[in-house]
Amino acid sequence: MTTAEVRTPSAAPGARPAWRGAAGARLAWLHVRSRRVPGAVLALAVCAAVLHAALRWNWTFNSGKLAQQVPMLIEAGAAAAVVVTTHSPFGEPERAGGRWLPYLRLGTALALTGLAIGVVQLGVTAMNLNGGVLQMARNIIGITGIGLLCSLATGGLLAWVIPMGYIAFAQYALTEAWRSPCTWPVRPPDDRGAWICAGLVFGVGLLAFTLRGARQSIRD
Amino acid sequence: MTAVAFARSRPVRVFRLEIRHSPVLWAIPLLAALFLFDAFRTAAGFVPVWSVRASVITTAMIAEFGPLGAGLAAWVASREGRRKTGDLLETTVRPAWARQAAALGATLFWLLLAFGIGVAAVYADTARQATWGGPPVWPVVVGVVEVVTLAVIGFTAGTLVPGRFTAPLVAIGTFVASLVGFHAALKVKPGSSLSALLSPATAVPQGDAGVFYHVAPDVAIVQVMFMGGISVALLGVLVARSALYQVSYREFFSAVWRAGRWPFAAAAALLVVGVAASSTAFALTGTARLGVSGWNIPALHDAASDKPIPYTPDCAGTTFTVCVHPAFSAFLGSATAALQPVAAEIAGLPGAPVRAEEVDSGPAYRLGIGTVLLGSASPSILNGAITGTPPVYEYLADADIAPFWGSASIAASGDWRSGFEQEFLTAFAGKPGTFFPTPAQQAVITALMVAAGAENKATLTLHSASPALAFPQQDDSSGHPVGPSPAQIAAAAVRFGALSPAARHAWLAANLPALRAGTITLAQVP
Repeated sequence: MTTAEVRTPSAAPGARPAWRGAAGARLAWLHVRSRRVPGAVLALAVCAAVLHAALRWNWTFNSGKLAQQVPMLIEAGAAAAVVVTTHSPFGEPERAGGRWLPYLRLGTALALTGLAIGVVQLGVTAMNLNGGVLQMARNIIGITGIGLLCSLATGGLLAWVIPMGYIAFAQYALTEAWRSPCTWPVRPPDDRGAWICAGLVFGVGLLAFTLRGARQSIRD
Repeated sequence: MTAVAFARSRPVRVFRLEIRHSPVLWAIPLLAALFLFDAFRTAAGFVPVWSVRASVITTAMIAEFGPLGAGLAAWVASREGRRKTGDLLETTVRPAWARQAAALGATLFWLLLAFGIGVAAVYADTARQATWGGPPVWPVVVGVVEVVTLAVIGFTAGTLVPGRFTAPLVAIGTFVASLVGFHAALKVKPGSSLSALLSPATAVPQGDAGVFYHVAPDVAIVQVMFMGGISVALLGVLVARSALYQVSYREFFSAVWRAGRWPFAAAAALLVVGVAASSTAFALTGTARLGVSGWNIPALHDAASDKPIPYTPDCAGTTFTVCVHPAFSAFLGSATAALQPVAAEIAGLPGAPVRAEEVDSGPAYRLGIGTVLLGSASPSILNGAITGTPPVYEYLADADIAPFWGSASIAASGDWRSGFEQEFLTAFAGKPGTFFPTPAQQAVITALMVAAGAENKATLTLHSASPALAFPQQDDSSGHPVGPSPAQIAAAAVRFGALSPAARHAWLAANLPALRAGTITLAQVP
């Protein structure tokens, strides 16, 4: 085999789109598997089941501002399951391996965030979720954004720590009835400022994660 | 250094290395920020009574240190699994349980150090403001044991399931569990299931907890037994798991032989002791009874804690004396300023008190508060009553002067003052033992409050087109208001208030028994 043969694909031009599609799908699947996305889906299902149980058996307050306590925590759990998938087991070789990595990161993070909202919503079907689907979606989006930003500094595996601290802070803000949009988990579902804050954090987090990826450390 | 000394120093060295590389160290700034924002601020907002301020140790501080500590412990424990170094480390001289003990010990070292500094900060701030009593020890013991237990739970989960999702799920799971425990603890009452007393979040205190009576340590003891038992049992699981690393059930007995019998004996002993301690604590909780010093467990109870703590009240005033417990001496000025004007309005009338005294709220009040918080009952707690000869107005420490979220600065506000005055006049003009005054009683109370200069929603809107009531509107079973409207009650209050002080005094002197009995109608108020 000569160098020219290596550089020139041997497949016919007409067959290239199909080959590319299959390769793309395989690449996406390998990326998803390397990030333990199937495990994340299982973790999301666990979160949804716990929220379902909490609402069905009244583990916490039924009404009032404190009714948001447990749903908020479980939504944070769903967001944490999303952000720990940002960890790559390959590190530098993967970065050098191709130009599709940022798109794969973007797609995986977006898809998993959407999936988290869908799965948690499925868990509360026919249940009375305080704040409804809008507040739940805003919480997951915003906390995922914090986690994505956190992953740039801590790495993917510890990206849940700052969201955990934020949600502990939000619990305090809930009992103190804070009104700042930065404490979006305690704001009503139709609060525009809270949506802007959560969306902004998610947007910035997603952009930064797409471009840079989670921090890699040999100690991970 | 001799070879023997070197060999002996190695566990300490491993421990020191683990301490230096512990991830908890990096989480301490986050823990500190959360502590300052939540636990410290919450404690600073409470009345400066030791038992009340100490309650943040087992509530707010646990919410910050517990779940995060559990998650980080899971992260530390999953290290060998994450890095797939289990086989490699099997070849080292030290057994697996020794490595794990060092890792867990380092995690607990930083967690407990941070926790201890937090407790010291809360207690130092309380010491500056408290005027009675001293720092309670049991909340600290319960808090420490709970942090250790949650960390051990996280560590065990991380060891058994060393995946990337374990740490965050353990952190969230323990947080949810502590909230569920808090919710269940609020519902505990005599005659119901008492197992929720095992939740350390039962320490939602009343404002005078530990002031008139010592807080019995019975529940704290069973909480320590229960959580300590869980920790010990899980340590047994960890020891057994370390010895049985990658051993199939067919190789079980050969593995026991190879590893030596004592690790298994130790694991079994830890399991048995842990389960026995937790089961005993669970069984003891079922025997709890509510007493003056809180929940008592007969097998653990010391009758000495049921005796009142002697004290000399702080008093002010001459013709009408207002007294507070020395723990609440910061409230004396506000209490005197509130009660003197309304006491002057009714001075000399039959049954008018000559003295106001702060008394113990009692455990029933705490239960009432819990029920109201849960929204399962309407508030029906009497906050004060006039008793004895000469008449003395006895008001509850928790209800009136210093609820557990109160402070001396709040007591200086107009809302607090008018509420305190309203309670006083309700005890005077209302039927003893009832919570809602009749419309005529409401009109008289409102007029007297206006005359004394009190300002609340009822007195400020008295002359408006849509006046507010000083008391909640009574509804029938279908939710429709019953009795006279707020406007009719306000009109009667305006009428009565327009009388001269002498005329009001004379009417009250003549009609007070009928007014108290509830036989006077709104139309009969002059």
